[in-house]
This record gives sequence, structure tokens and C-alpha cells, in this order.
Amino acid sequence: MTGRRRASGALLVAGAVVALAVGAATARSAPAGGAAAKAFPTGPVNLTMWWWGEQEAAGAKAWLAETVALYHKKHPNVTIKTVLQTTNGLVPAFKAAAAAKKGPDLQYFWGGIWSLEDAWAGSTKPVSDYIPAAELKHYINTAEDTYDGKVWTAGWYVQPSFPLLYRKDVLAKAGVAPPRTWTQLLAACDTLNAKGVTPLAGGISDGWFGGWLYSIIGAQGVNSVGDVLGAVAGKQKFTDAKHAAWWTRLQQLRDHNCWNKDINSVQLYQGQQKWSDGKAAMTITAGSDVKKFVTEVGVSKVGVMAMPKWGSGPYAGRLGSTSQTVGITAWTKYPEVDADFIMFMHTPERMSAWFKKTGAFPADDRFNTKLITLPQQKVLFNLVKHGAPYLENFIPTEFDSKANFAQAQLLLAGKADAKQAAQASEQIAARIRRTNRDLIANFATWSKSYK
Amino acid sequence: MTRRVGHLPKHAGLVLASLIALFPVYVMVTAAFKTQGGFLNHPFSLLAHPTLAGFRTALNDQFPRWLLNSAMVTGAAVAATLTLAAFAAWGFSRWSFPGRDALLSLLVSLMVVPPVVLLVPLFVFGAKLGWISTFRLVILIYVGLMLPFSVYMLSFFFRTIPPSMIEAATVDGASSFTVFRLIVLPLSGAPLATLAVINLLWVWNELLIALVFLQDDSKKTLMVGITGFESRYNLDVPAIMAGLTLATLPIVTVYLFGQRFFVRGLVAGAAKE
Amino acid sequence: MSAPGALLANSVGPRRRRRRLHLGRAEPLVWIAPAFAVVAFVFGYSMVELARQALEHKGHWVGLENFRLTVTDPTFQTALEHNARLLLAVPVLVLIALLLSVLLFEALRGWRFHRVTVFLPYVLPIPVVAVIFGQMLQLDGLVNKALRGAGLGSIAFDWLGQPSWALWTMTGVIVWKELGFGVILFLARLLSLPAETFEAARVDGARFFRLHRYVTVPQLAGVIAFYVVVEAITMVSWVFNYVYVISNGTGGPGDATQVAELYIYQTAFQYSAPDLAAAAAVMLFGATLVLIVVFFRVQRRAGFIAAGD
Repeated sequence: MTGRRRASGALLVAGAVVALAVGAATARSAPAGGAAAKAFPTGPVNLTMWWWGEQEAAGAKAWLAETVALYHKKHPNVTIKTVLQTTNGLVPAFKAAAAAKKGPDLQYFWGGIWSLEDAWAGSTKPVSDYIPAAELKHYINTAEDTYDGKVWTAGWYVQPSFPLLYRKDVLAKAGVAPPRTWTQLLAACDTLNAKGVTPLAGGISDGWFGGWLYSIIGAQGVNSVGDVLGAVAGKQKFTDAKHAAWWTRLQQLRDHNCWNKDINSVQLYQGQQKWSDGKAAMTITAGSDVKKFVTEVGVSKVGVMAMPKWGSGPYAGRLGSTSQTVGITAWTKYPEVDADFIMFMHTPERMSAWFKKTGAFPADDRFNTKLITLPQQKVLFNLVKHGAPYLENFIPTEFDSKANFAQAQLLLAGKADAKQAAQASEQIAARIRRTNRDLIANFATWSKSYK
Repeated sequence: MTRRVGHLPKHAGLVLASLIALFPVYVMVTAAFKTQGGFLNHPFSLLAHPTLAGFRTALNDQFPRWLLNSAMVTGAAVAATLTLAAFAAWGFSRWSFPGRDALLSLLVSLMVVPPVVLLVPLFVFGAKLGWISTFRLVILIYVGLMLPFSVYMLSFFFRTIPPSMIEAATVDGASSFTVFRLIVLPLSGAPLATLAVINLLWVWNELLIALVFLQDDSKKTLMVGITGFESRYNLDVPAIMAGLTLATLPIVTVYLFGQRFFVRGLVAGAAKE
Repeated sequence: MSAPGALLANSVGPRRRRRRLHLGRAEPLVWIAPAFAVVAFVFGYSMVELARQALEHKGHWVGLENFRLTVTDPTFQTALEHNARLLLAVPVLVLIALLLSVLLFEALRGWRFHRVTVFLPYVLPIPVVAVIFGQMLQLDGLVNKALRGAGLGSIAFDWLGQPSWALWTMTGVIVWKELGFGVILFLARLLSLPAETFEAARVDGARFFRLHRYVTVPQLAGVIAFYVVVEAITMVSWVFNYVYVISNGTGGPGDATQVAELYIYQTAFQYSAPDLAAAAAVMLFGATLVLIVVFFRVQRRAGFIAAGD
């Protein structure tokens, strides 16, 4: 299960409803006063945590249950109930809770826009108000959850987004070396096709893959995240060369028949399954899933790398990195206890246990990297240490689904070319700028921290 | 009636129709009993080595809970709808009052309103009251959505009750409620039963409203559950198919036993068996 | 005593003085009130709220701006266009349903079995149907496997993945499911007709197609009209579940399966623009108003389907 199976609006209750019920469109800050100023409560404390992640980091559920039990031993008056959400239900359930202003005390958020949208709506309290800065600075990828000088959610585990996995056996049999540059990739596609092997396996029938591709291909063309935020806010255009280039690259992949023929009619996991079955040479997976795929196929047969390089921007050749996070809700009665639990999740013993159980990297630079034994994970970790921002986290979700998902589907189905896709993207962005005024103002402010 | 077009093409036509109707169901049920590999390699065959692995995965999830929720919501919604619709239909049929036809027309015309249109206002309202993820709001909405058709059907039927029976009872001193209870209701067994089945079918299969208004994991109905289930296990086709089979079983069972009522109900009246 | 009176006496027991509520002329309204209250809340409140929301943006009055923004949205236009295309399925539904019902009516051997099976799709939940077809219609799914196996590989298209096919495929699934309703409607009507209707024609030597064209179909005119209107309403207002599950909530590929209901849903719940969704909803409701009027005309004509003409 990948890291990006997000709510397809299944239950996506409007942030509008939130706006109606809650009113605020700008980030509300929690009362100043520094972390842990209050004494730890002595009476019974019952907390609820809504989370996601078992789907992309198998073993998370067991780890969390263990963590809660250990925390209870440490603080017998605190009981924490955890509820695993479905992929489609995570965001809508939270938005519904926010509208009713009651629900969990701790909430799981994907990074970037996924954390900030709810921060803007006033549904969360910034963790930087409750976790000391000295502690918070160890957490990885806090930059993408920072807005207006505050860190809103705390990293839990890192999601390398998204590595390319290749089958050493399949490539060797076809006499192809793992492609490091874009030119090599296109050449590999040609050779593999001649030998009757699918070069790259994917699936885009449910759209998500479009967002992945945008991020791992598109990041190479921009100079910084500020470019993307600026384009959203209207200061740049999505038809500008640096933003439109990725469509051209995607079209090249299509024209060289790099993808499986049924990419438009299957979902991503089904595409990845072809790779596991040896029918394709390469595929793209969630970083946290690498251990699973490697184990399935065989350690000696799998190689891991970042998307082949075509661009010269600062992110080219680097693996995207984002952290899945936990946040404190605005209506919780015990924010300090919430924060304390988050910090407990980051204690060394807990972090080691997390990695051992799930194979995903804790979002903490104090993590004991000696525990990484799987060679592919070592590669992954090194890539992520010098990771680049994950672009999809920096655009409005409406733009993501209308531009990236839909246009990628059309392009791969042969119904659109790169130029049309880029123009469509800009039109979509222009329309969103008109209809969603607050979002744009927020993006403009956000882009100020990325100069 | 069979000259020129012989029996054969007609039989063929019916058989073809039945095959097309049944094929997806066949796929679903047979896949449920296969292993993943078995399904991929022999998608069409009947069970070679039936396994219950798919069902086990499905049942390990929250199927029993969803089933219970669906049963509860359906039962309450249908009961409430029948009661209110019967009262209202009686009000429309028994008495003639100014504006009756207009009011009835208005009520029935609401049948064409797309439910999605009602979602946002009702959700905002529910959120304000804290009724999201409560059964009462969902049941209320279902009843509202089913009333137009139900009132329509029942008022039509009630109008066929001979006025003489009503007159006689009233002359004997019965209150109108007694008349309703002791004459109208017993006579309405068939339409009430058919309406119950139609409404049951609708609520059981309903997705959108349950999706939006019952977000708590513990409150999900079967349809919502299987949609999420499908996305979680979408590589494990037998598990999905097992889940779908389980989800379909109750309704198909009811159909097979009550298909006479289904038929009658949908035609609201005079099908001869 | 009259029969009802006896009935009453037996159940009420020895005659007691019953206090009768004198509601007089207001009585029917008392009966109707509870149902009316629920309907007024669910529909009335919603529509008023909807209208209000469509005219505001974050609490400020903006007049028709939301309507303008929605009408100029190419996605909305595409959605409406697709609903219109779905309407094209209605004549197809009628034709096939007629054919099947006539075949069943001829009471060939095993017709009762066929009647049960043909109606089965209508009973199945839409999410279930959509998932199964979603699996079967993939490029390498069962349907194409069967086609290739039968040597028809050249028509094994990407039924759901190609934008040009996706909507037609969706229409096909909807037809598959909605057909049963028509078959049962027509069949029931046919069964209720007196036998003489067909006798005369038979004596005159009418063959299959002539017979049905000149005798059967006119007899079914009322029911056909009813079915047409009900299915037209479905194609405009009740296809959300199909589209949502088959396209994984995207309306894709691209915009290929976008419809009005999905548009409203996405705009409200995915893109956080409830005012725009409300405007679209108001417009959709306006379109269905037309159907309501037609629905009523048809009702009045058809009587109420089978119950005696």
C-alpha cells in the first residue's frame, strides 16, 4: 500500500463545512506560553488517536498498540484509544470531526498541504507550542509543516517519495543496465520493448499515480518549492518552461512505450504487482513499502534508485522526502499529554522498535541507522538523507486531481500531448485562483518561507 | 403466435439475456472461492479446489459490524417510512380537501430530486447539531427520501378501497383511526409488504448518504464498508469477491423468496401470476 | 350488522363509549402532518439552505456570481453534456426491455426462470455491480480475455481506461442493471391484458413482428411512457453511485465520466467550495423540474400503469 492513497473525496467533507462551522481561514495560533508549562495532569485522562499507516507500513498497528501500552505503564492514568482509518476515510472523517468540533485528540496527517489545510482552518494546535524546540529540531521534514513561524504537526516516519525499484534479474536477462539518466531510461525502454518486457509498470485508473509522477519528474525542473507555491498563487504560470517541462518528459515516456499497455485501466497496486511477478523491469513504490517488495521478490534481485535525471535543478537526481505526521487537535483537553505522547513515540527504544517492525524510517535524526541491514533500505536511507521536497505536498488538492491526475490520464491514453496538458493545468490553476481566494492568500504567505 | 419466428431464436434470446444477467454474478461467486493465483489463471472456471481464504479475510474485517448497522438502519428507516406513509396516504385518500391534489403532486414530485443536492445543507445542519455519525440523522434522511414514492404508492392503493366499507364502519360509530386500523390496514397487507421490500432494497443498497453521514468506523453500513474494503484489498480479488458475495447474500436471498412481491410492488398493482 | 361492523364489534368487545376526537375538517391534515414534517425538513429546509448558499460566499451576498462561475466551468459543461448522453440510453433500454418482456410473455418453457434471472441485476447493490464490472472490464480483464479467446481480440478495447470508451461502458453497465425494471413493468402489463386483445390479431394471421408492433406496443404505450420518464430521471439524478464507484471517484479518465451529481459532490466535498456546489445543485434541480412536469403529465395519462384502464 502506498503512501499517497489519499481520500478520493469518498467522505471528503468540505473544508468549506469546516469554514462554515469554524469560520477561520487563517491559521490560529495556540496560546503562547511555551511547551509543558503546565504540570502533567494527575486525574484520569482518556485520549483518542485517529491514524493511518498500517496500509503503507505493515506492522504499524502492532507497534502503536505496544507504544500505547508502554505509555500507560509510564502514566497509568492515561488511556489512549487508537482508531485505524481507511485511506479514503482518513481526511473526511477528520473534516467531519472538525466541523462538529469533537473527535480525536491526536490526528494523523500526511505532510505539507495536508497538515496546513487543517491548520488554516483552525482545526489543530501547533505542536511547536507544546514540544520544546530542542526536541523538535531533531524531527525530520518539519519544514513542510511550518507556516507563519510555527510547526503544526510532528513527523512520525519518513516516506521516501518515491523510489524506482528495478529487477536486476529482468534487466540482466534483457542486457540492460539500470538507467541513471533520462536518455538511458528512454533507451532502456526501447530495448526492453524489443525484448517483449514491460519497462515500467504503473497504474493510473484511480488517478493518484499522476500526482506521484508530477512530483518525481516535475521536481527536477524547478529551482525551489517557492516556484511551485508561486505558480499556485499566480506569480508564475504552469505553462512556464520550468513547470511545463515535466509534461514533455511524461510524453517522452509514453512515446517510447515505457509503460504497461493497461496503465489506464488498472490501479497502481495492480501495476506494481506485475513487477513483483517479473513481468516488468521497473516500477515505482512507496519508500515504506520497499521492504515488502524486496522480501517478496528476493533481496538479490531488487535495486533501488531515484527517478532518472533529466533536469539540472537542485532537486534533480534526488529522492523526494516527506514525513507522515501526527498533530494535536484544536479541541483536545490535554494538549500537553498529547505532545508528551508524541515525544514518547520518539524515544530511542520506540524508534528502534518501529523500524524493526515496519521497516520504515522514523522521522528523527537520532534514529539508530545501524539497525538498517537490508541493502536496499541502506540505499534508500542515504537517498533520503539528502532528500528533496515532495512537490505534491505543495499544491492544492483540487489542482492535483484536476491537473495532474486527469491530464496524466489523458496524456497516457493518447488523448492529450504535453502542450495541451500544460495549458490545461494553467487554466485549471487560473480557475482555482478565482474561486478559492483564501487558498491563494495562504499560498502566497507560505511561499515567503521558501525564497 | 409463433409463426415465422420459430421457437429457437426466441429461446436463444432469452438464454442470452439470462447469461448476460448472470455472468457477473457467476464471476463474483466463483472468484470468492478461489485463491488469487487460481483466479488469475482460471478466471472462468467453476471451482476446482474451493478455498475459503477469501471469506476468511473478508470476515476478519468488520463485516459483522457493518451487517448489524445496515440491518438496524434499514429496519428503523423502513418501519418509520411505512408508518408515516400509511398515515399520510390515508389522509390523502380518505378525505377531499382544497389543495389536496396540489399537495400530493408536490410531495410525489420530490421523487426526482437528486439526493446529492441535499447533501451539503443537511450535512451542515447535522454538524451544527453534532448529529454526524449518528443513526438518527441518517434514518431521518432516508425516511424523507422514501416518503414521496411510498405515499404515492399507498395513496393509489387506498383509493381502491370501496368507500362503502368505510361508510359502513363510520355509521357503526368507529373513529377514523379505528377504521384505519381495523379495515384499511388488514386490506393493505400486499401493498404494504411490497412497499416494505422495495424500501428495504433501497436503503440496504444506498451508498452516498451513508458515506457522508456515517463516518465513524463503528457506524458504517455494509455498502460503505465494502467500498472501503475493496480499496484496502484491491490486489486480493478473491477477498474482494468474497466480501461482495457476503454483501449481496442478504438481499438476493430476500429477492429469491420475495420476488413475487418485488414484481408486484414495482408495478404497483395488477400483475397476474 | 354490516361486515365491517361485525369486525369492529368483535375486536372492540362489548360496546363502549368511545370518545371521538372531533377534528373536523382539519383531520386529513393531522394524518398527513408527520410525513409532511419529515419531508419539509429533508427537502424544504435543504432547498432553502441551498438557495441561500448559492447566493453567498462565506456569508457575504454575491448575487449570481456563483452561478456564473459554475456555468463557465468547462467541467460543469462537460458533466451536463454527459448526462445528456446518458439520456440516449433510454430508447435502448426501452427497446431491449420490450423485446425481453415480449419473449417472456410468450411463456416459452422455462420463462419463469428467465424472469427471475433477468430481474436479478436490478436487485444487486450498485457498489457491488460496479466493482465486479470494474474488475471484468480492465484491459486484461475477463471480458477481453473472453473476446481474445474467441478470436475477437481486435475489439478488446480498454473499456474503462480509454476516455472515448469510458462513458459508453458506464452506460452499458447502467443499462445492464436498469433493464430488469422495464422488463417487469412491461411483462406485468401484458399479463394483465385480456386474452382477446391478441386473439383477433392472431386469427388474422399476424406474425411475430407485426403482431407486436401493431398490437402489443400500443397496449403498452402508457407503461412505456412511464418507464421512459423514470429512466430519464435516473440518468440525470440517480447515477452518482455508478459513476463514483466505477471511476474511483474521479470522473475519469480525464473528465470522461464526469456527471452533474459527481461534479456537485466533488466541488463540495473535495474542493471545499460549497457555494459553487450549491449553485450547481440549484441548476441541476432546475433541470429536473422539467422532468417533474413531464413525469406528472405521463402519470395522468398512464393512470397508474396496470390498474385497469
